[in-house]
Amino acid sequence: MMNQAAISEREIQPGPATERDGPSVVERSIRVPVLIFFASGVFWLIVASAFWLLASSQMHKPTAWWAFPGVAWLSFGRSYPVFLNCFVYGWATCAGIGAGIWLLARFCHVPLRSSLFPILAGVIWNIGLAVGVLSILAGATAGFQLLELPSYAAFILFLGLLMVGLWAITIFWNRKPGPTYISQWYILSAFLWFSWIYATANILLTFAGAPGPAQPAINWWYIGNLLDLWLTPIALGIAYYLIPKLVERPVYSYRLALFGFWSLALFGGWTGMTQLLGGPLPAWMITASIVAKVLMLLPVLAVAANYHLTIKGSFEELRWNPVVRFIVIGSMAYTAYAVEGSLISFRSIGQITQFTLITVGHNQLGLFGFYSMILFGAYYYIVPRLLGRQWLSQAMVMAHFWFCVVGIGLLFFDLTIGGSIQGFALQDPQIPMAAVSDLIQPFLMVQNVAVLLLVVANLIFAAAFAFIFLISAPVKYRAAAFESSAEATNKVASEVSVA
Amino acid sequence: MNKLTGLFLGVFLLFGLSWLTFAAYPYITFAGLQRSKDEATGALAPPGNPGTADQGARVYAANGCFYCHSQFVRDKNAGSDIDRKWGKRRTVARDYMFDRQVFLGTSRLGADLTNVGDRQTDPQWFYRLLYNPPAVTPESVMPAYRWLFETRLIQGQPSADAVKLEGKDAPPPGYEVVPTAEGKALVDYLLSLKKNYPLPEAPEATE
Repeated sequence: MMNQAAISEREIQPGPATERDGPSVVERSIRVPVLIFFASGVFWLIVASAFWLLASSQMHKPTAWWAFPGVAWLSFGRSYPVFLNCFVYGWATCAGIGAGIWLLARFCHVPLRSSLFPILAGVIWNIGLAVGVLSILAGATAGFQLLELPSYAAFILFLGLLMVGLWAITIFWNRKPGPTYISQWYILSAFLWFSWIYATANILLTFAGAPGPAQPAINWWYIGNLLDLWLTPIALGIAYYLIPKLVERPVYSYRLALFGFWSLALFGGWTGMTQLLGGPLPAWMITASIVAKVLMLLPVLAVAANYHLTIKGSFEELRWNPVVRFIVIGSMAYTAYAVEGSLISFRSIGQITQFTLITVGHNQLGLFGFYSMILFGAYYYIVPRLLGRQWLSQAMVMAHFWFCVVGIGLLFFDLTIGGSIQGFALQDPQIPMAAVSDLIQPFLMVQNVAVLLLVVANLIFAAAFAFIFLISAPVKYRAAAFESSAEATNKVASEVSVA
Repeated sequence: MNKLTGLFLGVFLLFGLSWLTFAAYPYITFAGLQRSKDEATGALAPPGNPGTADQGARVYAANGCFYCHSQFVRDKNAGSDIDRKWGKRRTVARDYMFDRQVFLGTSRLGADLTNVGDRQTDPQWFYRLLYNPPAVTPESVMPAYRWLFETRLIQGQPSADAVKLEGKDAPPPGYEVVPTAEGKALVDYLLSLKKNYPLPEAPEATE
């Protein structure tokens, strides 16, 4: 069994010589594959940003010239799924795989013998996604939400995923004897869950031609799991590693961490049907999802409490550390996202919110406010350690942070207020649909502004990522992530003492 | 080794339950749905879709109609759908048993389309809407789908399904705007959307 100390960062530190020289042997061996996934993530984030801006402009003013009216492949019905697919399978998934394999390799202390396998997986993933996105633009969508990629592209993606998953298991299998960590559990399980749901959903919906009435159930089962059992455990695994590392204390409670993990594993797979309140499914299916969505508050609060109690007392001195900022805001957004999620799954509230902009705002709070913020934090922590370099400018990172926070805050509140108005208007049969459109016009305009802020944030992030390769000079490894040299010395000392 | 085995076994069993419930179970049970037969008239419900519907559904998917339009009617106590006259009764699983692909949708920036073929029976209405939505509903935020039409020289008699356009949308003299094969398939599909037959498990809502 794991013990209390196991959860703490009690890994064997590389010797002082390697510390000074740069990344450890393990890190050097995974540098190329992790950076390939990280760079792919940034690339797709920029593609997603372009289509996000286009889609939100089109929602606001479909007839304006910058909405490209009359151009089939740039119409809203294609720009919107392209944005979502690039964001989820390009940015979120590539970044998650990169950070996931970095964590696993570090924990297992196994230098990779050959990085050919994961590099190949990265290349395959990118090819599959590019083929899929071009197909959607050409109108060859599979037509299921978040499963728009046609079967041939989905098959290529699955091959890449399978390779990453097998590789992750191999690393874990060959690990040096020692404690296992809660982060490893989250990340290994995430790979298992994601491969499972991706294969099931694609096989049942496209290859095996699921009967019509079963399709929405399978589709929303998949979407619920994609968020709760793929993106969420990846982000939680990262935060469970980085928070104790940065505050230099073990995770507050080992039992709470275990409880959080197993309750997520128990309830996470049941939440999807809450999008289909009143839909043509057996009522017990929807009820089961509502119950699960409420019970999901257990793992969420367990994780939130554990993070909070771990970081408590150290936050003041760490508040200027960008990694901490991104992780803390991301974790707070996770709690908010889960609480809102269980509120809008109740039938009484959900029947007003379910078809409105509130759903869009809720998903963005999860995808951007929670997941992406934590992944940004992971990039800021991991990339300098892999390259033995420093981020070019702290001002740039702070600009990225504030554009993210203001952008997602504005987007969320705008869509929530606009969505509430839309929901109550839809609920009143006296208000014609055209009048409902009129009511939400100003909110669609503000959405456009908020998306623009987030696109600027993404561009700053991409520029920072490019600069660290192009311009930044190598620095002492331990000083890599924004620490003054005095702090860095302390940190080495305390880490050695922990080890 | 035990730890990994225990982890995977636990995760596998817990998630297996969800997989059985929401993927395997609907896949198997909904494949066995049977039509309802009216004792008096012998009419079968649902009656089945016209052959062209599947083709039109592809066009519906390709252009992402389902990102703004839903296709299900909630019961009277679960929303305003029936009061909005989007249907006389809620929709149930059997309503979708003949659909190759089901687009329930989760957004209502536009109207629900479950019974749109019942509300609007004139193909011209759909053509004019798709060609230029504000010409039909001035406040509409729906984009125009011009690529589903072509403007061509009238040869001999004007085509039967030429779109009747007015004002600045009207084609130059001697020309006509006609739907492409895709445009026709889409409108055929939309016209086929009508779940206006009775089903015993979903009686019409009473006041």
